[in-house]
Amino acid sequence: MTDAEFRVEDLPDGTKRVVLTGAWSLRGVQNNFADLRDHLSAFFGNPFTHWDLSGVEQLDSAAAVMLWTGWGKHVDQRMLLRPEHTVLFDMLATLPSAHSFASGQGNLMASLHMLWDRYLEFFSHLAGFVNLVGSLTLEFFYILTHPRKIPFKEITANFYKGGVQALPVTALVGFMIGIAMAYLMAIQLRKFGADIFIVNIIGLAGIRELGPILMAIIVAGRSGSAMTAQIGVMRVTEEIDALSTMGISRTLRLIMPKVLGLTLVAPLLVFWTSAWAIFGGMLAAKMQLGIGIEFFLDRLPQVVVPVNLTLAVFKGLTFGVLVTLIACHFGLRVKPNTESLSSSTTSSVVAAITTVILVDAVFAIVTRGIGQ
Amino acid sequence: MSKHGIICEVTGVWTQYGSTVIHRDLNLAIRAGEVTAMVGGSGSGKTTLLRHIIGLTTPSRGEIRLFGVNLAELDRDAARQARNRFGMLFQQGALFSALTVYENIAFPLRELRQFDEEAIHLLVMHKLALVELEPKHAWLLPAQLSGGMVKRVALARALALEPELLVLDEPTAGLDPDRSDKFVQLIKSVRKQLGLTVIFVTHDLDTLVGMTDRVAVLADQHIIASCSLPELANVDHPFAQNFFKGVSERLERTDKWKIEPTH
Repeated sequence: MTDAEFRVEDLPDGTKRVVLTGAWSLRGVQNNFADLRDHLSAFFGNPFTHWDLSGVEQLDSAAAVMLWTGWGKHVDQRMLLRPEHTVLFDMLATLPSAHSFASGQGNLMASLHMLWDRYLEFFSHLAGFVNLVGSLTLEFFYILTHPRKIPFKEITANFYKGGVQALPVTALVGFMIGIAMAYLMAIQLRKFGADIFIVNIIGLAGIRELGPILMAIIVAGRSGSAMTAQIGVMRVTEEIDALSTMGISRTLRLIMPKVLGLTLVAPLLVFWTSAWAIFGGMLAAKMQLGIGIEFFLDRLPQVVVPVNLTLAVFKGLTFGVLVTLIACHFGLRVKPNTESLSSSTTSSVVAAITTVILVDAVFAIVTRGIGQ
Repeated sequence: MSKHGIICEVTGVWTQYGSTVIHRDLNLAIRAGEVTAMVGGSGSGKTTLLRHIIGLTTPSRGEIRLFGVNLAELDRDAARQARNRFGMLFQQGALFSALTVYENIAFPLRELRQFDEEAIHLLVMHKLALVELEPKHAWLLPAQLSGGMVKRVALARALALEPELLVLDEPTAGLDPDRSDKFVQLIKSVRKQLGLTVIFVTHDLDTLVGMTDRVAVLADQHIIASCSLPELANVDHPFAQNFFKGVSERLERTDKWKIEPTH
């Protein structure tokens, strides 16, 4: 097989003839149609050039398309073709052009349409979420009357995966944030000679804010994304349908264990994270302000009233429920393609963290008169 | 390379996973222009051999030369050029699920960086017409296609770069008999139009009888026979005999069997 080549001959009437030889085909490894097109472009533009393809060994669709577009999408008497070439070019002539696929919509209409789609999508999310919460509630009443159907094994598995395995990372993050907070505050407090209030700040912030928020963010990133991806892949591989055909409720077996498991473990994680944040703050206070650890621990119960702990439990429960529900909701909306899986997982984490912070702000306003 | 040369040569190939031997000193030659079927029992290593041939995996021992070269020994650019000379149709289609049918077929063409958008559009439409799909199907996503259409689109993508060798893994698995028959006809017509060499793996006897020139029987960890379907009768091996029984019934029933001249 020889490579695609061409030579130019001068005809007696002053016009030129381009004679193509060799294999005009992608199979010729050395052929580069971009280069060939560039070399031929001068002749493509000239309406009096003759073309001789009778010496071509092989003409494939790629080469034919290159020539045909160069010729202005038509073949006439100037082109000397072999019969099999004519068949190929006739075939190309029947293909729909790119213009026939033009969207046919103006820019304004298209963007309005997109806005409308977004609007509808919001309601479909809302409906899906309400549906999820509704079916969970029904299942909850069902297991209250049928205690033997409670999926203990799955719940404890989620307890372990979402809670126990998250201990190291929540501890580390809590400890570091505690240190950072204490150093920042120590310098401000010293200006007023109010060193002692570091205990109030670290105690209240650690228990009321840092613990719950850090827990929620880490759980959303760790467990929330994993849940979305897991449910999504199970949808793609029809595992959820397989569960349904066995007469097993997907809400009971798949969603409820996640919601219950993570919700129950969340308050414990909150205390764990808070404890490490306070520990970090305590160390920083000792180093920066010289406040002893014994004194700190002695003063902490006096300035932070126990109702703050109750508040932390409530926050933990709420955030745990929100993160899992949002993760499951997005998991159930995954469509069977890779793009949808990745975008759903991202949306799940972003939506969970945003919601948690919104709800936290509401909590802060509503409970401003409690425990301070 | 001559038309009747050897397009793929497998010599002394061993495949071992731990202590499990899948191929033991396996030899096979595939001639250009022929349709070669690989048959064998489940787990006999047909698909593994196919993956060796196209260079997705390398055998534990032995050598595989495709187009006269060993893909594993080539540098990056040369290997890429060699890989553009064959098209592979995976069992599940392996279409990129995030891309439309159009983008799936255009993908290898774009990667070549030799064509502008207009030419790519025409080439995609040409490939769609070749596999008998309509232009409107170009904007569907793989998830919206039926099983038969997935195979057609995957075939169109495999043919996008005008390969000389087409490799098919279970081309008709998962299709109903009618669709499967149509797909076999389609492959035959495409093969005639483009002058392809075809290697395929199949379990389906109808597919086999429908399109094969030569059958390579994989049993006892090596190729026990590589011959035309009627010649299978002379192979003295229980699997081959059993297999031939099924084949000969179909040969008689359909009378489709004619040895087509390869050129």
